[in-house]
Parts: sequence; C-alpha cells; structure tokens
Amino acid sequence: METTTIGGGEGATGMAAHMEVEAFRRLFPLPFYDRHLSKSVRPDARTLDSARETTISLGPVASADGSALVKIGETTMLAAIKLEVMTPSTESSDEGSIAVEFYMPPICSPMVRPGRPAEVAPVISQQLSDVIMSSRMVNLKELCLISGKASWIAYLDVYCLNADGSLFDAALLSAVAAFTHLQIPLVSVNEEGRVFTVSGEQQEKTKLELVNKEKRKLSIGNTPFPVTCVIHKEHIVVDPTAEEEAIMETSITIVLDTLGNLVSIYKPGGVGLASTATIKECISRTKRRMQDLKIILEEAVSVMEVD
Amino acid sequence: MGPPPTLPTSHSFSSPSPKTLQETKTPFEIRFALLSSLSIQNHGMRHLKGEIGVVSKADGSALFEMGNTRVIAAVYGPKEIQNKGQQMNNNEALVRCEYSMANFSTGDRTRRPKGDRRSTEISLVIRQTMEACILTKLMPRSQIDIFVQVLQADGGTRSACINAATLALADAGVPMRDIITSCSAGYLCTTPLLDLNYAEDSAGGPDVTVGILAKMDKVTLLQMDAKLPLDTFENVMQLAIEGCKAVAQYIREILLENTKQLESRRGS
Repeated sequence: METTTIGGGEGATGMAAHMEVEAFRRLFPLPFYDRHLSKSVRPDARTLDSARETTISLGPVASADGSALVKIGETTMLAAIKLEVMTPSTESSDEGSIAVEFYMPPICSPMVRPGRPAEVAPVISQQLSDVIMSSRMVNLKELCLISGKASWIAYLDVYCLNADGSLFDAALLSAVAAFTHLQIPLVSVNEEGRVFTVSGEQQEKTKLELVNKEKRKLSIGNTPFPVTCVIHKEHIVVDPTAEEEAIMETSITIVLDTLGNLVSIYKPGGVGLASTATIKECISRTKRRMQDLKIILEEAVSVMEVD
Repeated sequence: MGPPPTLPTSHSFSSPSPKTLQETKTPFEIRFALLSSLSIQNHGMRHLKGEIGVVSKADGSALFEMGNTRVIAAVYGPKEIQNKGQQMNNNEALVRCEYSMANFSTGDRTRRPKGDRRSTEISLVIRQTMEACILTKLMPRSQIDIFVQVLQADGGTRSACINAATLALADAGVPMRDIITSCSAGYLCTTPLLDLNYAEDSAGGPDVTVGILAKMDKVTLLQMDAKLPLDTFENVMQLAIEGCKAVAQYIREILLENTKQLESRRGS
C-alpha cells in the first residue's frame, strides 16, 4: 500500500506524518477530500463535474409490463411497472393513475438493516412521485380504458439494489426508462361487463373483442432528467458517491426536461449555503449531463427494438 | 480493480426447449417428453446462472438464477453484534437472515412482500440451513447478516435463495464447512421431476426440497408436502440430491473462475 506524507499545519493530520492512504481516507475523510478538491480531482480520478458511467437496460423483469435496470457507477436501481384494472374516481373518470413506491432492501447498503429502514427511502419515494406527476411525463388520459368504468393503475416499484450515491438520479432514470419500455396488455370485456387482461396466445385462440388493440405504448411527453450535485465550501461536485454524500455539506438535485424547462429543484437544507450563481452553475451542469443521458436512453430504446 | 460485473439484463432464458413450453399444454406432459430425451448429465434441471459480486457495498453478494427464478443474496459480516439482547451464545457468531420478494416478482403484484408468514418461514429455513455450514465457533461475539431478495419467482425460490446465499458467503470470505446447495423435485403422473417451476409446483403433486452439504454428502434441509408412498419418496429424494450435486458442480466452477480472475487482477 502506498504511504503518503502529510504536510504540517493541518491540526488533525499533523500527527499522521506517514500513514497509508486507505487508513487516512477512513480516519480523516474531510481533509482527504479537501486535498483532492483543491486539485480539482476526486479519488476515483473524475473531475468535479463529470458523472459516473451510466447504463440503462430495458426489460430485465419478464413478468412485469415494463421494467428497466439503471446503473450509475455502482448505484443500481431496478424499476418495474405492473398494470391493473380499476374503476376511476368520479372526478377524473377518464384518467388512470400511477402509484409510485421506492424500496431500499437491506441488500443495498450496510446502513440498512431490518428494523432500521433507511431514512432516505420514503423521501426519495415522495420526490419520485412528485416529479413524475408534475413533469406530466405520462398523460393520465392514456391510461383510461373505458371512460367512467375502467382504467389502468400503474404500480411503479423501484428497488435499490446497490446504494452508492445519487440514489434519486438513478431512481428517476429507471422510472422514466420503465415507462418508455411499458407495453400495455390487451384487454377484453366479458359478459358481466368486467374488464380482464388477455395474454398474447389467448387472443389468437378465442377471438375475444379487444378493447385497446391499437394503443399499446404510452406516448411519453417531455422526459425529466435529474442531476444531483453536492456543494462543499466553494466547489460543486457532480454525481457524488455515497462516501462523498456523507461528508459534504449539502446536496442539491435539479431536474430538467428535454425542452430545457425546470421541473424540480431540491435543496433540503444543509450546512452549505448556495448563492443564485451557484444554483445557475448547477443548472448548466444538469443541462450538459442531460444531453448525455438522452443519448444513453435513446440507445437503450433502439437496442430493445432491435431484439 | 477492473470494471464491476453488470447485472445480467437479458430476459431471454434458455430453458430446455422454450418453443414447446406453452401455457396451454399441461406442464408434466412436456417435462415427461423432455426427461426421456435428455441425457443424464442434464438431469432435467432448468438453466442455471450465477454471478458473484453484484452488490459492491456488501461484503459478499451473488445473483443466482434457476430458469426464470432470479434471486440476489447479500452478506454483511462478520461484524459486531448490533443487538446484544439477541445474542444467545457467547461462543458463536449470530447468523441472521431475511427473505423478501419484490412486488413484481410473481404474476400478480404482491401487497406484503415482507413480514408475512411465508417470508418469515423461509427466512428461518435459510438461516438454519446456512448455520449448519458456517463455522460459527470461529467468530464469537459477531454477527453475519444474510439478505435475500427475490426479483423474479417461478418456483424453487427457496432453493435458489440457498444457492445464492452460499455463493454470497463464499464471496464474503466467511469460513464454511462445505458449500450448501439445494434443489427441489416432485412427482407427477408417475414420473419424478427435477427442479419444478411454478406451473408444475401448483399442479398439486408433492414437492420435495433438499439441501445438502455437497462434499460431505449430508442432508441439512429436507422439506416435503403432500402425500407420497415411501419408496417413491426415496426415488424423488435421490433425484433431488443428484440435482443438488449438479448445482454444487456449477457453483464450484463459478467460484474457481472468480478466484482465477482475482488472481489475474492481483498480477500474480
């Protein structure tokens, strides 16, 4: 293991004149990161405004109507959508609905234990729900089957399989990708007027009257793309890992849609204060990252269509 | 370290003959036809796939697939005991296990994937099975957590979980007596069947799940429901044990491959 010589003048580290890098990282994380940030680099050799390698793949869960697996670095999210038929409420009789739930099972992180669920899970769950609704990515009217009588409820479940920072980014990306992949099942109405789903083979065999033969895919409106940055002293660090998130002062998440509209800004307090200039800087970082994410999503969709 | 292995994302699993397995045909008729045409090596088992190190934050983790059943196991430990009250025996490590199913894992979306009776029972079964092979006496006053998450369920989840847990424990470097593998077998239409999927399992015949310590050839887990005459039971159990040995062979290959990769990364 390499040893590093710590210069004098830094109180906590003065005594650690010669120490292994790993030990220094564990014992004095803040000075470790400060030294990296002052050279505008991060321990994994990224620059301050570059994100980790992102991959999206569609359809990993065969039993779901739409699913997607997203990896940002080590952070892994699996989103799956299952559609069920329900009766719509009277106020929105020609609309379906979406129910979003976010889970952090104990496999994802040593911080999560049975009996001690992750504090951040319901927060992300609420954030996801808010952004998906307010971005109007999905037109709820497309989820209607028979106006007033039957419509779809889309249960979106997002599971975190590996928590290594930027959880909301990966979760929203996986939700967006799952909706892009979603294939609405065929339905038919039986004699009692009840709507039920018809699988592909049954359709050929029994020639049931199919209600929604043409429209099988949702038309996704402007897709929202998120980027999380952390603000530490005067540095803006894009796409933090879990280690960086734990020690940096405050985080800020910005969601933009493809037209460049601001969908959401989320800065939940924190020691660090951000001036408007800082926020504008974060927004421009988000714009750049959004271009990359758009390309990655389009590639994933075209790969799926080839299959 | 090299790039981390990605979670397998292809959802086209190669089962013995995917084109003939349609839902309208009765499952045991198909299996019977397959069994008679397959060689002994294949055993009539579904396609197996295992991968180590899928959860980077865990001390050990593994993904295991048996046909369409897909399970992730993560091991955290050995670490300091969290809840001193739970510690029964000062001289041994405490093993904890939790089994949960994803909402979308089965055909119908499940509402309570955790904490219901079936999940608690399977958690207990997996914990006691793994306790049989972990050398707990070597790690007194510590705790090993095994978490298993089912992503897709198509019969044999118990067995897939145990196999995934074995791989994850090996990845974590937890000292073990032997590797534990598990497989299920059933009996339909006077034919013993190996590695039932959900359709065959719900056909109403008996379901025997066996877990063995592979090299020591000892049985740690044996569960059966429904009625079966004794000599038929022996046949079915023998078949399940052969299935377990086939899984053990596959797991050994994975572990060997993993060790070779680690060796080459170290540059030795």
